[in-house]
Amino acid sequence: MTVESTAEKVLAGGRLSGEEALELYVAAPTSLLGRLADTIRVRKHPTGVVTYIIDRNVNYTNVCVARCSFCAFYRPVGADDGYVLGFDELFRKIDETLAVGGVQLLLQGGHNPDLPLEWYEDLFGAIKARYPDFKLHALSPPELLHLSRLSQQPVPVVVDRLVRAGLDSVPGGGAEILVDRVRRLLHCDSKATADEWLSVMRVVHRAGLRSTATMMYGSVERLEERVEHLCRLRELQDETAGFTAFITWSYQPPNTELGGAEATGIDYLRTLALSRIVLDNFDNLQASWVTQGGKVGQLSLAFGANDMGSVMIEENVVRAAGAEYCMDEAEIVRNIEDAGFAAKRRNMVYDVMGDPFFRERSIPRRTELAVARLAGDTTVPAEVSRYPARSRPGKEQRRQAAQQPELGTGD
Amino acid sequence: MNDDFSSVTQKIADGAALDERDWQTLIDTHDLIALGVAADDVRRRRHADRVTFVQVVDVPVETAANGGTLPDQAGELRLTGRPASVAAAVAAVRAVVARAGSVPVTGFALEDLQGLCGHELGRLGEVLLELREAGLALVTEAAADTLTDPEPVFDVLRTSGLTLARLTVGDVAGQAAFSLVRRVATWDGAGTVCRAFAPLRPAEPSRPTTGYSDLRQVALARLLVDNIDSIQVDWAGHGPKLAQVALTFGADDVDAVPAAAPDDLGWRRSPREEIRRNIVAAGFAAVRRNGRFETLDVHDRSEHE
Ligand code: SF4
Repeated sequence: MTVESTAEKVLAGGRLSGEEALELYVAAPTSLLGRLADTIRVRKHPTGVVTYIIDRNVNYTNVCVARCSFCAFYRPVGADDGYVLGFDELFRKIDETLAVGGVQLLLQGGHNPDLPLEWYEDLFGAIKARYPDFKLHALSPPELLHLSRLSQQPVPVVVDRLVRAGLDSVPGGGAEILVDRVRRLLHCDSKATADEWLSVMRVVHRAGLRSTATMMYGSVERLEERVEHLCRLRELQDETAGFTAFITWSYQPPNTELGGAEATGIDYLRTLALSRIVLDNFDNLQASWVTQGGKVGQLSLAFGANDMGSVMIEENVVRAAGAEYCMDEAEIVRNIEDAGFAAKRRNMVYDVMGDPFFRERSIPRRTELAVARLAGDTTVPAEVSRYPARSRPGKEQRRQAAQQPELGTGD
Repeated sequence: MNDDFSSVTQKIADGAALDERDWQTLIDTHDLIALGVAADDVRRRRHADRVTFVQVVDVPVETAANGGTLPDQAGELRLTGRPASVAAAVAAVRAVVARAGSVPVTGFALEDLQGLCGHELGRLGEVLLELREAGLALVTEAAADTLTDPEPVFDVLRTSGLTLARLTVGDVAGQAAFSLVRRVATWDGAGTVCRAFAPLRPAEPSRPTTGYSDLRQVALARLLVDNIDSIQVDWAGHGPKLAQVALTFGADDVDAVPAAAPDDLGWRRSPREEIRRNIVAAGFAAVRRNGRFETLDVHDRSEHE
């Protein structure tokens, strides 16, 4: 097996084994990986369209008991700067999203022991009652698993209840690297092992929902473990065909317990290209400009990506780790067109929704992403007190709220 | 890769002249990878797998006399800003040289020195000699967009015994920068006085370029500017990610690597380790040089595995 023969196999449309993929990654020059990935992109997307979605990435709480060592976003239960967003705050964010042509919320958060399943059901129900056409792309597999454990309900029941409340699709977060050795080192095996992550996705797909899949590389994994991750996703996609897209990004070390150095730009482009080559049953690969910046984000389009991801009105997790890139719709479209593609808006299942929105009506330029909560805002939404808490600080907060009914806002 | 593009890259490899259509083919191609492969071929023929970098300490010319300790990673002390007069320029060089030890001192934009000399070439020659005698190792840069008639200026530099660390594109980007690259490629004598050509304007948030246009510009520079040895990117000015990717699109020298980490403890590695890691991850050997372009040490892939 040589790099040349493996490359020929890819060009002929053959599927690579894990071993072949690893050898290609290790030995092939970056330009060859790019060339192979680009060939596959053209095969899958021959019209030269590159898509993007206008949505808002909202983190409804930063309180989390999982405490992954690579995460700069979470706050422990009882922390002064822990927050839960109120329903009204979320409605306001949806209104702002609709105003710039947005079609969905990407809603994810920490594993907060004081938010029971009923809080999510009520939130989703309230959103759908106000905004029936607005989509909820929400709750990654570890969050669903957390809700299953918290509510003592099997995952299929949790998924079913959330779908009834308004869940439309599931983001592929929390996958990190789907190898338990790595997950133990990252202290994220307890939130979901590799098998658990995949089995939750299987449930989601069987329930008729579509999801994305992700990979966070560049922390403690070996190259063969990146390849194993891709092969495991490919296997599940063969079985369910439920993944709409794959997104990879590099671990962002600043402000994390794990620390270390970020993987380089070349590493990102090589990993993206390898993903495009291995994931032959995935239709779409997104560029991660949020972690790589606009320039390398745009270069992703030469290394296998066919989608620029989200016009992210708000972002909190990557920002907590120090990266603060912002691209509004006009900037995303400029980058797509400059690279020689036609820019189209899409929805979560990759239906083309139309041409760039900002050309149809005037939308203010945005040079900064919004945040979930302004620093120092410790408001506890009034409705949170209606739900039973599991943690001691949560119970104390409920007790105080019962004594002071005016505490908090919203409702 | 389409036939037109292949025939242009073949012409470049053969040293044949490019016509207007060839030039447009290179500018218009969206096949970025093919452009990168062609530039990388040219670059490897010149520099094999070596990428040089220099760690720079900027010294504003107006505070040059103030003293202070130098970071021990410094490979170049660079006087920045426009001096108020020739005397101020010479004094600044003397002050920095006095505490530089063996670290080369560079400084000034050629157009600023020309301004101080009333754009008289004879006077420029005298000033360059004075600066050299004061200890200046190289003039930091000249902006190609300001050189309407470069050959006489290059002659003056040659006579003074000073060279330019780099020729930049000055303030232009996009189509204008592509045209400037084309002009620079015709300046036969440039290579004897310019150590490197820097084809990208420093990044400016208010005038953003794109990754495609930056890399196209770097690749075109390497493909066309065969009269200057090195194609340079700026670590601080273009950002580590874009600068690293540019190394696979024809660049072989990295300028402006900081000599010390910032005070905010935001970095986890020393700048030297960080640049070496990036160069090696791009598939090259990392060659640390000083401001005189002298090799200080070499790190290859085996030392980073
Ligand atoms: S990555 Fe998610 S699950 Fe892990 S600590 Fe952060 S918020 Fe919690």
